[in-house]
Amino acid sequence: MANVRRSRTAAPGLGRRRPLTAPAKAGALVRLLLDRLGSDVHDLWTDEDAVEVQIDGARNVDVLRRLRDDPELGFFFLADAAAVDYGPGVRFEVVYHLYSDRHPAWLRVRAHVSRDDPRLPTVTELWEGAMFHEREMYDMMGIVFEGNRDLRRIYMSPNYRSFPQRKDFILPDDAADSSAAGVNPLERPETWDLRRFSETLAPGASAPADEPVAAAGAAVEAGQTDADKSRPR
Amino acid sequence: MTAVDPETRIPDPLDLERLEEDRLRAAAGLAPQKKAAGEYAGFEQVGLPDRPPETERERQLFSLEEGEMLVNMGPQHPSTHGVMRLLVKVRSEVVTDLDVVLGYLHRGIEKLCENATYTTVLTYVDPMDYMSAMHNEHAPALAFEKLYGIEAPMRAQYIRALVVELNRVFSHGLMMGFLALDMGGITPLLYGFINRDEIVDMLSAISGQRMLFNFFRVGGVNFDVNDEFISRLGHWRTRALATVEDNERILTQNEIFTARTKGLGVLSAKDAISLGVSGPNLRASGVALDIRKAHPYPPYDELEFEVITQSGGDTYARYLQRVAEIKQSIHLIDQIVDQMPHGPVQAQVPGIIRPRPGRAYAAVESPRGLYSVYAISDGGPNPYRFRMRDPSFISLQVMPKLMPGHLIADTMAIMASLDPIMGGVDK
Repeated sequence: MANVRRSRTAAPGLGRRRPLTAPAKAGALVRLLLDRLGSDVHDLWTDEDAVEVQIDGARNVDVLRRLRDDPELGFFFLADAAAVDYGPGVRFEVVYHLYSDRHPAWLRVRAHVSRDDPRLPTVTELWEGAMFHEREMYDMMGIVFEGNRDLRRIYMSPNYRSFPQRKDFILPDDAADSSAAGVNPLERPETWDLRRFSETLAPGASAPADEPVAAAGAAVEAGQTDADKSRPR
Repeated sequence: MTAVDPETRIPDPLDLERLEEDRLRAAAGLAPQKKAAGEYAGFEQVGLPDRPPETERERQLFSLEEGEMLVNMGPQHPSTHGVMRLLVKVRSEVVTDLDVVLGYLHRGIEKLCENATYTTVLTYVDPMDYMSAMHNEHAPALAFEKLYGIEAPMRAQYIRALVVELNRVFSHGLMMGFLALDMGGITPLLYGFINRDEIVDMLSAISGQRMLFNFFRVGGVNFDVNDEFISRLGHWRTRALATVEDNERILTQNEIFTARTKGLGVLSAKDAISLGVSGPNLRASGVALDIRKAHPYPPYDELEFEVITQSGGDTYARYLQRVAEIKQSIHLIDQIVDQMPHGPVQAQVPGIIRPRPGRAYAAVESPRGLYSVYAISDGGPNPYRFRMRDPSFISLQVMPKLMPGHLIADTMAIMASLDPIMGGVDK
């Protein structure tokens, strides 16, 4: 492709940083949310095109119903519902993205869920379309939606037991036994062990980097690590 | 539906031994040999899986009334648009209930992307919805730019819109073809592929690849437009409307086509919103929701177009919506080419991008609807969480709603009108 013109030169305005302040257009929405939701809003942020509220997981149906049915808010369309795992011992979050044709911003509702007992009410009574979202969250993260009448696995087979998108789930083919905790070292530049590569090129030299790896592997085989519990069997 | 008498003999033509035995018994003046109940017509328990139902919905699905049976369509079925299985409950030829069984193509792309750098994520998402790979890259690119706090140059935004609209034209064009193919017509598919191959060649001239383009970058696009792309675009543009209209002439007034699509699978606006249907399927039900208008991303705020809607909400309306959107996209392409500014196509970003910790949500209007990405950064080189909302995944939920009461042969027509792509559904 000889005639491809690549222009990567710096120019005025190129790579302009985005404004960090929230646009004024979301201000009306923020005031309205604080007025209508009151004490249900634990925290509130504004993004450049989204307003974000944090609520309690157990109150999700009540809050979302008010957001949907209030004529001034009018968030009638559930754009997305996704779960986020903040790691063992921290929490889960179920994140709802809502659309309203009355406001020029997305609304992101973050519902905090305990990671030890991940349960929260279903919102399928508000939006039937939340069914597949909730089935996916149950399948991938193991979050139980109480009241959902079809909560079964959607991607994995029915007899599958672990929850693959949790952060403590180690990809089986990603060196599950390594000290790098399941992260493919080639895809994380800061974990590149250049000394080890050079030793591969010069065989015969000792490889000290291998020792912790072997030790971790033995621990996994003996069933001594937490990580082993989440591996598919 | 008349009850099937378990005593009624329905011989299995392949069971020759028993046939021969019965023939001898008949010759000897004896009645045919009786079989165990399960070996007879067996209409009462056919198709039930060998496990108990897990949920209330499954219990409802697995409880068969008199004359009902469960039939599996797929997972390898020529018209399921990928590897999926439909568990159809039928009473003779009429579908009474339906369940969508997914996961045959599940690759765990979201999890893979959590272990990939921001730049390589854009290559992982390509094979998701392989009919609209450009849209798949568009939303992550926008989301990562928000995370990183950078904006792509205006020329890059226009090139993005150009390739994305070209992609929409061939995706909708193929939908017309596949809809006709699922009802027995082959020609519209071939016409659709004429258009599609020209566009794919064009996109391969600009990106270097035919289907999985890997064209978008965080902060711009990989290449500027080149002479070959421009000449192919001009060549295609002279005949673009004509090929679409050729296809339309075959289908829109076709008696068989209209008889089989009008009034079939009517989706009301209320149901469509509740079920999360988006894109052309939602607009065919009369809801004017188009992300390009609702939350415009550049350069759509500078282009002139109206949100097209239909009123029917049936399979025919969904077809008409696609035809109208093809013409709209061609109109948009004209505007984009006219207004495209000069300048660079790539912002200055480092090879390994490490955004500040934060969250970003970006949604684009893909040919199948609202395709959105929610990305969380923890300050490292990989996204901490990378979530994709695929429109066809959500749209498939309407199948159990639309199908009851329709004939089993219409299952595929209704499904083709929803235009799901399994690569995106299963992620």
